[in-house]
Amino acid sequence: MNIFFLIILIFFSGAILSFIINKIAPKFSGITTFLTIAVVSFLFFTQVEINSITQFSLGGIQMQFGVNNYTYIFAILVLGLSLLASLYSIKYMQDKGRLGYFYSNFILTVTGMMGIIFSRDFISFFIFWEIMTWSSYLIVIYDGARSSKSGLKYMIFSAIGAYAMLTAIVSIKGSYGTFIISEAIENGAFNFTDHIYIPIMLLIGFAVKAALMPLHVWAPNAYSKSPMSFTAIFSGAMSKMGILGMGLVLASVYSHSTDENAFNVLILRQILGWLGGITAVMATIYALIQTDAKKLLAYSSVAQLGYIIVGLSTGTKLGVMAALFLAIIHAVFKGALFMVAGAVERQVGTTDMTKISGLIRKMPYTFFTALVSIIALAGLPPLGGFVGKWMLYEALITESNNYFLVIVIFFSSTAAFLYSYRFLFGLFLGQEEKEIEHVKEAPVTMLIPMVILALFLIVTGVYPGILFEPIAQGMHYLGYSDVNWDMSILVNVWGEESNMFYINLTIGVVFVVIFLFLTFKGLKGTRYVGTKDISSSGEIPTENENLTFQLDFFKPFQRAAAPLYKRSMNKIWNDLGNALEAIFDFTRRIYTGNGQTYALFVIIFLVILLIFKNTLFTN
Amino acid sequence: MEDLALKIFGAILTTILGFTVGMTYGGIVRKLTARVQNRYGPPFYQNFLDLLKLQSKNSNIAHGFMGHMAPVWIIIAAVTVLMFIPILNGNLWFPNMSFHGDLIFLLYMMVFGSLGMALGAGQSGNPNSAIGVSRGLSQMVGYEIPFVLSLVALMIQYETTSVQELTQIQHETGIWNIFSNPFAFLAALFASLGMFRYAPFDIVGAPAELASGPVSEFGGKYLGTMMSGGAIFAFIKLTLYVHLFLGGAGNPDNSGIIATLLGLGVLLIKTFTLYMVPVFYGWINPRYRTEQAIRYFWGWPTALGIIGVIWAVYS
Repeated sequence: MNIFFLIILIFFSGAILSFIINKIAPKFSGITTFLTIAVVSFLFFTQVEINSITQFSLGGIQMQFGVNNYTYIFAILVLGLSLLASLYSIKYMQDKGRLGYFYSNFILTVTGMMGIIFSRDFISFFIFWEIMTWSSYLIVIYDGARSSKSGLKYMIFSAIGAYAMLTAIVSIKGSYGTFIISEAIENGAFNFTDHIYIPIMLLIGFAVKAALMPLHVWAPNAYSKSPMSFTAIFSGAMSKMGILGMGLVLASVYSHSTDENAFNVLILRQILGWLGGITAVMATIYALIQTDAKKLLAYSSVAQLGYIIVGLSTGTKLGVMAALFLAIIHAVFKGALFMVAGAVERQVGTTDMTKISGLIRKMPYTFFTALVSIIALAGLPPLGGFVGKWMLYEALITESNNYFLVIVIFFSSTAAFLYSYRFLFGLFLGQEEKEIEHVKEAPVTMLIPMVILALFLIVTGVYPGILFEPIAQGMHYLGYSDVNWDMSILVNVWGEESNMFYINLTIGVVFVVIFLFLTFKGLKGTRYVGTKDISSSGEIPTENENLTFQLDFFKPFQRAAAPLYKRSMNKIWNDLGNALEAIFDFTRRIYTGNGQTYALFVIIFLVILLIFKNTLFTN
Repeated sequence: MEDLALKIFGAILTTILGFTVGMTYGGIVRKLTARVQNRYGPPFYQNFLDLLKLQSKNSNIAHGFMGHMAPVWIIIAAVTVLMFIPILNGNLWFPNMSFHGDLIFLLYMMVFGSLGMALGAGQSGNPNSAIGVSRGLSQMVGYEIPFVLSLVALMIQYETTSVQELTQIQHETGIWNIFSNPFAFLAALFASLGMFRYAPFDIVGAPAELASGPVSEFGGKYLGTMMSGGAIFAFIKLTLYVHLFLGGAGNPDNSGIIATLLGLGVLLIKTFTLYMVPVFYGWINPRYRTEQAIRYFWGWPTALGIIGVIWAVYS
């Protein structure tokens, strides 16, 4: 059997199996999921040949399955992350109900993503896109009534995106006579010349999944309301499907456009870039006022996707490379961070940062993951996050001439330090309260995926080249020739470099020297004092004194940036929703359901007809 | 092998130089401030005495792992940045790696230390430390904006992102960047007020208000190491500014003893002059509230930075 069909078949049977097994032995439902994804990963990485195409026809429509170098990047990302997330999920979901429902939808979501990656034609692309959307919607409302509103919002925006995409697909068939993606690109479907609305409609469809402003409002709630083991792939991998599509469209616009500086291409570049920049800023400043760790991470995801879109919008080699690199790195660290939030939720019972603090000594491995991931999120050297940020800035400064966008991005990533610190401080540092005394470290099957992700971040900091290799090949597919990359040296077009190897070497040497200096005769012989044993203006705090500082953590920043907080896309959409509701309400008054009223309407209509008889029917 | 030995020697020399100059400048400022406030003040070498005392102490208590690591982050950031900025332009005695790390890297690396230390301060559980951190991070968002604007202006004006290149260009043309893009310099100068954290921007430590803020739970070796890191950082910021705007120091064609000493002399004069700006500004100002400080940086300094970028585009 063809390998692509086999993979899809394994996925579907895995989904059914995990649902059935849950009825017999709920424990094994998660293990089935993990095994399904593991088997598929094994098959994919051993059997699938890049650039092989499988043709078949369904109802008279030619369809193609296959993997190219570009989608291969996303396949690594999706399979790697969902494999780890499903392993994590086994213990995380242990004590929760409706496991069959959860796991079969979990597998279906992964199926949808892999299907999108396999699809070489728009029909199967759209079908798998909808499978992904619907199964993820069902997981968003996993918690029932508590999350039904977030689910509704997600569904509405997904529907907007899906209709936009469907319109574009039908138009492509109508204008260019093909459903095959590569043929459509070659015929110039995305060129912004004949049918300008086709690429725009497609971009709208993808932008919903990539949570680009103003279509992002579903994301914070949907990300934070779903079970964390799913959010890891929801935010980490699924949002990247939007990036996959946007990259495809934009790259064809830029590389197949006859005139590089055509007016509408420039407009597209500016609009997308600025939308991405504003998304990053607004999501960041909303992230730093959140008190729930999950919500904080959700907003942060939206902000990080903003950076990726900015990178894509530049359309330059370094910019697209930065975007794809950030896409992978974001999947890794955000996956890890949502797993951290899930571990805390499982062990403590809540992720509200005003209720818990000081978990570092209780959950050291979780803290290690959180620390490494946060360093990568903040984009600090020497981890992988810095590599992506560096390339993004250099691309904007040296190649795109979009200097003020650099400042916007920089503002957002400096403000990101604030919520980065807030996350670590809120959950792990600060006062060790009595309420958390019983807390234990998360189970080992939850720790393994987290720590693997953290170690991956460290490795990509020293050798980002291991990710550059697939990315460079993928970019070659997109039409960028001669993409230079080096194992650990980053170079911009002006020839300046950042040598990750030297940077890591220096940091490592200094670290060892100073750590030994401090620890030798330092740590030994000391005793750990609790967090109450501190200098509090010369007074000794008593046991029950509350010294926790968690509420309104960044109040001064909030006051300084008050004008920014007045704008809220959410409010605008809500107002629009209310206005529509008012219109519908008015319509309802006309259609009362009462026969007498309808008879009245008929009479009124006839009267009007008679009055305007002379003007209407002049002959 | 000899090459490597020379490099290691140079690295150690650079670190010692940065440390000594930073500590001495701090001491001189303490003395000057005291004279301005009509006190006698400590001798200029008081900082070295303080450090000696702190390093000779043994700690009896620990504040957990992140608390233990806090000074490590600071020193890592300080020494790493020091290795990647040019001390003297092209001098063989101070070999550096500024070709292996550019301005964007330096920008991020300089933040690394304070964030790491903030984590240590957080673990101590002292609410004053947490308030200090919250203020410090907020203020950072303030001054980084004009600073980055001025850096972007320089980068696009000369089409390079390397500090070494910028210094070399100034050396070759003979025109300092302070003259070729005065607006960028002014924006960076205002940003430096926030970086050095003298009044009115001393809201992080905030004496008599936060009990020295983030460092309040650290003593002995920890405090001493942090102090050294802070001193190196002061030297780094000043040297960076000198190389970015004030024409740099040192002659790339001559690395003889006399030329090197001369170069160091020039570097010291320029850095000290620059250092006096935030100090003088501090003497005549009371402390801002945090939001006032942030608003300050988002006002005129940012406007100047934007003018600087536009200037760079059209020049």
